[in-house]
Order: sequence, then C-alpha cells, then structure tokens
Amino acid sequence: MPQFFSNKRLVLLLVGMIFLVALISFSLRDRNHASLPEQLIKDVVGFGQTMFSKPTQYVTGIFNNVESLLNTYDENKRLKARLEDYATLQASVNDLQLENEELRDIVDKEENIRDFNPIQSTVIARNPDQWEEKIIVDKGEIHGVAVNMAVMTSQGLIGKVILTTPYTSTVELLSTQNPNYRVSAVIADEQEVFGLIEGYDIERKELVLKRIDSEFEVKKGQKVTTSGLGGIFPKGILIGEVTEVTTDDYGLTQLAYVKPAASFSILDHVIISKRTINPVDGTDGGNTEADLTEGAGEES
Amino acid sequence: MIRYVVIIISVLLFYMEPIFGLFSPIELNGHFYVLVPRFLIIYLIFIAIYYDRKRAMLYGLIFGLLYDVFFIDIIGLYSFIFPLMCLVASFIVRFIHHHLLVATVLTLLLVAAVEIILFVFYTSIGIKSLTFANFYQFNLIPTMIANGVFVLMFGWLFKYILLNRFNQKLLLLQK
Repeated sequence: MPQFFSNKRLVLLLVGMIFLVALISFSLRDRNHASLPEQLIKDVVGFGQTMFSKPTQYVTGIFNNVESLLNTYDENKRLKARLEDYATLQASVNDLQLENEELRDIVDKEENIRDFNPIQSTVIARNPDQWEEKIIVDKGEIHGVAVNMAVMTSQGLIGKVILTTPYTSTVELLSTQNPNYRVSAVIADEQEVFGLIEGYDIERKELVLKRIDSEFEVKKGQKVTTSGLGGIFPKGILIGEVTEVTTDDYGLTQLAYVKPAASFSILDHVIISKRTINPVDGTDGGNTEADLTEGAGEES
Repeated sequence: MIRYVVIIISVLLFYMEPIFGLFSPIELNGHFYVLVPRFLIIYLIFIAIYYDRKRAMLYGLIFGLLYDVFFIDIIGLYSFIFPLMCLVASFIVRFIHHHLLVATVLTLLLVAAVEIILFVFYTSIGIKSLTFANFYQFNLIPTMIANGVFVLMFGWLFKYILLNRFNQKLLLLQK
C-alpha cells in the first residue's frame, strides 16, 4: 500500500490524531457549559431542526390519533368502570385541598416546594447515535430554563436539564448511566420513606432507589415521587412504582428497583418545571450547596 | 442546479437523522432494539465513491463538527470519524469495481465500522457500560438492518445524482 502511507500523509495522520485527542480531552473536561461559539452553533442548528421536527410531529400526531380512535371502545369500557371511583376521589381531593389552604392561611405560610411554573416545550431531536440518553428541546435561557431543572411528561418524571443555550436546552433522561446523576425521592404511603434515585439497571430497564433506611418497610407496588428536598426539583412529581426491594451491597440500607412511570422511547412534548421557591444546588444537582455556604462551589 | 442538489441532500439528511432517532429504541418482546440512523455518513461515502473524495471529506468535517457540537458535546469525535470513513472508502474503491451493489456492501461495512469505533470509544471513556455481545445483538444488528433498508431504497438515487454531477464537472473541465 504505497500511496496510502506516503510520508506526507503519515505526518498529517499523526498530527491529526494528536489534535483529536487534545480536542476530545478538552471538551470532555467541561461538558456542562457551552462556550459562545458552541451556543451559537447549537441555536442555529436547533432553529433548523425545529423547522424539520414540527411537521414530522404533526404527521405522527395524526397516526397516533387514528390509533387511539381504534382503541376507543375498549378504553371507554375500562374508563366507565373507573369513573365512579374518580368522582369520590375528586371530592375528597377538593376537600383536602381546601383544608390545606385554610391551614396554610392560619399559619401564614405561602411558599410551598410543590409549586412550580411549567414551561411547555417540544422535543426537537433525540441524540441520533443514542450512546447517551439525551434529548434536545426548543426552550432555552430566554424562556427561563436553567441547568438541573426537572423535566417531565404527563406520565411522570423523565430527566433533568444538563445544558442550556439561549434558545435550546439539552435534557439527560433518567435512563442514563451517568454515575453523578441523582434525584432525591420519597415513597409516601402512610409514612414518608426517603431515598436517592442513583443509576439505572440496563438489564431490568428499571431505576435504582438507594439509601432507604432499613427501619422502614417498603412494599412492592408503592409509588415513588420526587421529594423536593434535593434543592431543585419540585415535590410530588411521579417517578414510578417499586417492583422489588433488597438490601444494598453493604447490607446497611435498603435498595429498591423502581419501574419508571413515563416511557422514554417516543417523546414529543415535555414540561420543564421551574420551581417557584428558591432553588439550592443540593443532591438533585451538583451537590455543592453553593447558595447556602459561600464559596463552597468554588473549592471543587 | 445539480451542484446545489448535492449540498441540499446532505443538509436534509443531517436534519432527518435526529427525527428518525425519535422513533428509537423499538421494544419487541421485552427487549429494546436501538436503531441508529446513519444516513449522512452513507451519503458522504457515496460522494467519496462516485463524485469527489476531497469534497466528501470537507462535508464530513463540517457536518461532523455540527454533529459534535449540537448532539454529543465532545468536539472531535464525528468530525474525525466522518472524513476518515470517506478517505477509507475512496481508497478501497480504487481497487474494486464501481458497481452499485459493491458500493452498497462497502458502505454498510463502513457504517458497521463507525458503530464499532463508537462502541470502543464510549465504553473506554466510561460513559456507557455494555458488553460486546449485547451491543452486537441490540445495537449493531438492528442498526445495520435499518441502514441497509435505507441504502437499498436511496442508493440508486444518490448514484444517479452524483454521477450526473461528476459528468457535468468533467464537461466543464474539458471546455
């Protein structure tokens, strides 16, 4: 192969390789901040992407509508059966809500970690090579999105914002294998049991809820929601349902597998939740607590 | 006219990829199969085979860079792989016949090479932990089938357009 490995090409190839390694290590070091040219490219490409994905979603929307039309009869039968339960449930929810508001008025407490302002957004792209579980949505800093905000669909929590530019933001899904990805969660059933969502079991397709105090009893089928104590996510977003409970590797705390409530495969409309109460960089984010202890974030 | 068609198709394919990515992964019998659309690199390899190697590498560099910045946030990954694949394709094609079927097989082999390079890269930097057997069964095979269908559907069209452009350029040079 004389032509492929001529001297000039070999030198070029070597220089290219060194340049490549340097670039990759440079951009791997700090992936959560986009520099100005990166932001510019992201916004321009994102604009073009929106032009393409909006019509596609319209078409897939029509197909979905036809599909749901075909299932209408079955669904109607099932829903009718549940309608009676629903009315009584609604009445008691209203009652409790009123009582809650009255009690809050009495103690003069207005702020609530449950409250959030929803930012409706459309998914414009999914990372096509799918090595990382990322989606890109069409709302950015201009619309009030910030890093680490919770992202959900109507079914439940799906991920959090990891990168923002003025007009787009990147969301990392819960099904990621990133070890630094934590969500503070709670199992609220008679008593509140706290834990941390840490990691995703790729074989079982389930989330792993770690660090549950072993004094508490966790049962299969209990609902897991966000606790709001991680500092950034609002309280009460559904994450999923417990499917199995075991003890962790060291036998000190319990570990539960949680089947996610939301499906991660076909996503089109998502809601970014901007919490009304002041956010703190706790376990939901980088765990620096920079807002509480001055200078803590700068040390690391 | 046809000069711009070559560029327009690559821009179209660049934007179509993430939209097809939205449909993946597909669930079948409790397993998730990942289909990665690799339309752009297929087209670039066709450019390298039928039209112009340098042009293919230039497009590969530009689109690879856009890909890196917009989706991956690791600059230098696709902007290296895309031109490399174009170079390898144009090198191999010197020794073999320019038939469409040969080009199709060659393209699919190179797409598989891209997937395997990415598998090695991502597992070695620790972003993903995946055994090769699982990668082969749930990522590589479905991806190759999906892209195979794509090449069979559009390969002849790419060849037709690119050869037209090639002949047009030859005529201009002769004048």
